[in-house]
Amino acid sequence: MKKLLAGAAMALMALGGNAAQAQDYPDRPIMMMVSYGAGGATDFQARIVTMTAGNEDALGMPIAIINKPGAGGRVGWNWFATQAESDGYTLAAYNIPHFIAQSIKGGVEYSADTFEPIANWGADPAVFVVAADSEMTSMEDAVAYAKENPGKLTFSGAGLFVGHHIAALQLEKAAGVKMAYIPTKGGGAAAMKAVIAGEVMAGVNNLSDAFRAQEAGNVKILGVFDLERNEFLPDVPTMKEQGLDIDNASVNFRGVMVPKGTPQEVIDKLSATVPEMFANERVAKKMKAGGSPMHIMTREEVQEMWAARQATLEELLAGL
Amino acid sequence: MEFIYYFGDVFAPVSFLLLLVGTIGGLILGATPGLSPTMAVALLIPFTFHLEAVQGLILLGAAYTSTVAGGAVSAILLKIPGAPANIATTLDGHTMAKKGEGARALQLSFLASAVGGVFGVLLLIFLTPLLAQWALAFGPSHLFWLAILGVTIIGSLDSASVVKGLLSGCIGLWLATIGFDDIMGAQRFIFHSSLGGGINIIAALIGLFAIPQVLTMFAKGRRNDNIEVIEVKKHAIMDAVRELLSRKRAMAIGTAVGSIIGLIPGVGGQIAGLVAYDQTKKFSPEREKFGTGHSEGVIAAESANNAMVGPSLVPLLTLSIPGSPTAAVLLGGLLIHGIFPGTDLFDNHPDVAWTFINSMLIGQILMCIFGLYVAGLAAKVAQVPQSVMAAVVLGLSVFGAYSVQSSMGDVYVMASLGVMMFFLERFGFSAAPLVLGLILGPIAEANFIQGSMIANATDGMGTYFLSGALNIVLIAIVIASIAYSVVMELKQNKAQNEEASA
Amino acid sequence: MSRTQHIIPSGIVFLVGCWIAWVSFTQQPSEAFLFPRLISSAFVALAGWTFLKALMGWSKVGNGVTRTMALNLAPGLIVSLIYVFWLAKSLGFYTATSLAFFVLLSLYDPAPHNQVKSWTKRAIITACFIAVMYGVFGLLLKVYTPREILF
Repeated sequence: MKKLLAGAAMALMALGGNAAQAQDYPDRPIMMMVSYGAGGATDFQARIVTMTAGNEDALGMPIAIINKPGAGGRVGWNWFATQAESDGYTLAAYNIPHFIAQSIKGGVEYSADTFEPIANWGADPAVFVVAADSEMTSMEDAVAYAKENPGKLTFSGAGLFVGHHIAALQLEKAAGVKMAYIPTKGGGAAAMKAVIAGEVMAGVNNLSDAFRAQEAGNVKILGVFDLERNEFLPDVPTMKEQGLDIDNASVNFRGVMVPKGTPQEVIDKLSATVPEMFANERVAKKMKAGGSPMHIMTREEVQEMWAARQATLEELLAGL
Repeated sequence: MEFIYYFGDVFAPVSFLLLLVGTIGGLILGATPGLSPTMAVALLIPFTFHLEAVQGLILLGAAYTSTVAGGAVSAILLKIPGAPANIATTLDGHTMAKKGEGARALQLSFLASAVGGVFGVLLLIFLTPLLAQWALAFGPSHLFWLAILGVTIIGSLDSASVVKGLLSGCIGLWLATIGFDDIMGAQRFIFHSSLGGGINIIAALIGLFAIPQVLTMFAKGRRNDNIEVIEVKKHAIMDAVRELLSRKRAMAIGTAVGSIIGLIPGVGGQIAGLVAYDQTKKFSPEREKFGTGHSEGVIAAESANNAMVGPSLVPLLTLSIPGSPTAAVLLGGLLIHGIFPGTDLFDNHPDVAWTFINSMLIGQILMCIFGLYVAGLAAKVAQVPQSVMAAVVLGLSVFGAYSVQSSMGDVYVMASLGVMMFFLERFGFSAAPLVLGLILGPIAEANFIQGSMIANATDGMGTYFLSGALNIVLIAIVIASIAYSVVMELKQNKAQNEEASA
Repeated sequence: MSRTQHIIPSGIVFLVGCWIAWVSFTQQPSEAFLFPRLISSAFVALAGWTFLKALMGWSKVGNGVTRTMALNLAPGLIVSLIYVFWLAKSLGFYTATSLAFFVLLSLYDPAPHNQVKSWTKRAIITACFIAVMYGVFGLLLKVYTPREILF
C-alpha cells in the first residue's frame, strides 16, 4: 500500500511540471532504455557502468535498465524519440554508428538531432577475423585474395547499417576491391559462428567478442578498424598500419543520452556527474574483466563525435 | 571424470540453497502462463551481480532447467505453453487434463523431463569436444533444409483438416516476415508502429494459446461452475514410473531427438519438442491415439525439451557462441565475473565450469522431486472456477506479454492475434501449425538468403545447397517425411472408405 | 452449422491472402520479397480452396459460433478489449488490471449479484490477485510496467 501511495504521489509530482523538479533532480529512481536484448554486449556494459549510480557521490538514485530490443535497435530508439518523457528520468543508451547510419538510411523517427548526448562510456572497435586455421595471416593476404578473386571473399558481420557493415564498406573502399559481405541475423555471435565454422572465409566482429574467441584459440585477428592499437590487443596492427586508409568511423561507441527537450539544468547536472560515475574504480575493474574496452568522453566531446560521424556516414552510405 | 571432484561444491550451503531457490522459483515462474525461460533467466541477471561467479551460474542454470520443465504445467492444465519448447506438450497433455488425468500427465511429464534432462547433461559432461564439432557442422544450407523438414510437419500437426492446417502454417510463415529485415535491410508489412520489431514469438505464443482459452471460458457464460467441475483423479507416482518404463520407445526417441536438435545453434530449443512428437507419432503403432490424450505424446515432447538443455550449452561453453537467447543471457552472467567461456573456462576455472554443470545434473533431479510433489496439487487448478481462471489468465497474459521486451506493442499484437485465433479455431484452423510457421519462417528465410549470398560468391547455388553428406541426409529425411505423410493419408482414406462401404 | 458461418472467416482469410500477395508482388526490393511471394502464393491457393469449399457448403471441421455463445462472449470480449487496448496504458497496469479483473468476475461469477457477501468475495479475490501480480512482477522480477496517471 505504501508503494501504491508513493506511486500516486510520484504521478502527481510528475504532473507538477519540470521547473520545480530540476533543482533537486534526481529525487526518484531513473530508468535507462537499452535497445538491445538482455545479455547482449550493450545491455551487459550498461548494467556495469550504471551500477554505482545510487552512490551519494554519483546521482544518489539507482538507474534501472529497461530492454526494448528489436530490428537492430530501431524499435527502442523509435520509442525513445517519440514516446519517452523528457524529464530527465528516462535515459537511453546509444550505439554509434548504428543509430546515425539507420537514420541516414531512413524509415525511422529519429536522427542525431532528436537526442541530446550526456556522456560516452565505451568504444568497441570492429576487427577483421579469420578462422584459426586460415591461411591468411595479415590484411595484405586478405586484400591480395580479394584482388585475385573479386567478389569471392565471403566475410560475415552482424546485419546492415551497424558498425560491422560500415567497417566492411570502408574496407572495400580503401582496398579498392569487391568482396562478399554476408550479413547475419542474430548479431555478432552468429557472425562469429560463421567464421569459426568455416561457413565464410573471414568476418568483421566486435573487438571484445573477437578477443574472447582468440583467447579460446578459435580465430586470428588480422586488423583493428581504429586509429590506434587497442590495449586488449597490443600486437594487432591497425588498418592504417597495414596500408589501408580507414579511420574510426565504424568504432561502436556506447554512451548515455536523453531526448531533446530535457530541461537544460538536468542535462548540465547529468553531464557533470555521469562521466565521473563511469570513471569509478569498481566499474573499470568489472569492464576490464569482461573484456570491454572503456572510453569515457564528456558531453562536448560526444557532440563533436556525433557531428563527425554524421558527415562521414552520409558520404559512405550515399552510394547505397 | 574430472567433474566428480567438484560434486562437493554443489552441496556447499549457499550454493545448494541457491540451487533449491532457483529450482523451485523456476518451476513456479515456468508454470505461470506468459513467462518464458529466457525471460526468467534475463530477469534474474541483476541478482547474480551480487553473487560469486559459481553461485550466480548455479542460480541461472537451475532457473533455466526448471522453467523449461515448469512450462509443461501450464501447457497441460491450461493449454498455454510457457515457451515454444512446450507447444507439443499441449497436444496430448491438455486432452489428458480435460479427462481428469492432469495429475498423471504432470507426473509423466516431470519424470520424462528428468530422464531426458539428465541424459542431456551427461552428454554435455562426456562428449562436449565431439558435440562442439557437430554443432558447427550446421551451416546455412543445412539449417535451411532442417527448417523445411519442420515445414513438412505443419500439415499433419493437430488439425482436423490438412488444408486448414497448411493454411494456418502459411499464416504463421507470413506473420514471421513482418518487420525490419536485418539481412536485406527491407521493411516489410509494417502497417502499424507496434510491428516495427516484428512479431515477438513469446508474445505471439501467449496470444495464440492463452487468449482463445480465456474467450472460450467467457463463451460458456455465467453459469454455475459446480455442475462441470472436472474431477481430478489421484494417480500414484509408482504407477507413473511404471508407465514411463513401458513407454521406452517414446522416451528414447524424445531424448535422442532433443539432444541432437538441441545442439544446433539458433534452432534447437524451439522445435525439439515438436519434431520429437512428430517422430514418435510416426514410429508408434498406436499413431491414431495421438492428440486424444495419449501418454506417449507427453513423454516424447517433455523428454525432448529437457534433453535439449544440456547440449544447447555446448556451443556456449566450448566456443563462446551462445546458441539460444537463454545461452546469451548465461554468457552475460559469466562475463560479468570476468570468466570467458571456452578453454579459459575449463582450464583456469574448472571449479566454476564443473560446479555449474553438476548443479544442472542435481537440479534436474530436484526439479523432478518437487514437480512430482506438486503434481497432485497443481492438477487441482482444473477446479478453480472458470470465471476466476479466465480473469487470471487474461491479467497474466497482459503482464507476461509486456514484460518480454517492455513493449506495449507486444501486448497489442498478443491480444489481436489471440482474438483472431479464437474465431479461426472455431472454424477448424489451429494454433500449433501457425506457431510452427512463425518459428520456422525466419530460420528458413534467413538461411536461404545467407546461403545464396555465400553460394553466389563461391560455388553456385546447386552445389552449395544440394551437395555434401549432411545436405543429402537432410534432403533424404525431408523426402521420406513427405512420402510417409502421403502414404499414411492415402491408407487412412482407404480405411475410411472401406468402413463407410462395409 | 450454417454455410454462411464458414463463408465469413474463410472469405476474410482469402481477402487477407490476396492483400498479402498484392503487397508482396508490388513492393521492392524483389530479393527481400522473394519469401513473402512464395508464401503468399501458397496462402492464396490454400485460402481460395478453403473459401470455395465454404461456398459450396463442403466445410466440415470446426464448431462455429452459436447465438448463445456470441451473447455470452460479447460482454467479456468488450471489457477485455477496452482493458488491453486502452485502460492498461492510460490508467497504469495495476489499476487497469484490478478494474478489469473485478468487472469480469462480476460478469461471469455465478454467485448472486444482490448479496453483499458475494461482492466482498469478488473484491477479496481481486485484491489477492493484484497483490500476487505486484509481488511477482513488481518486486521479484522488477518489471517496470506503465504507471501513467494512477499505478
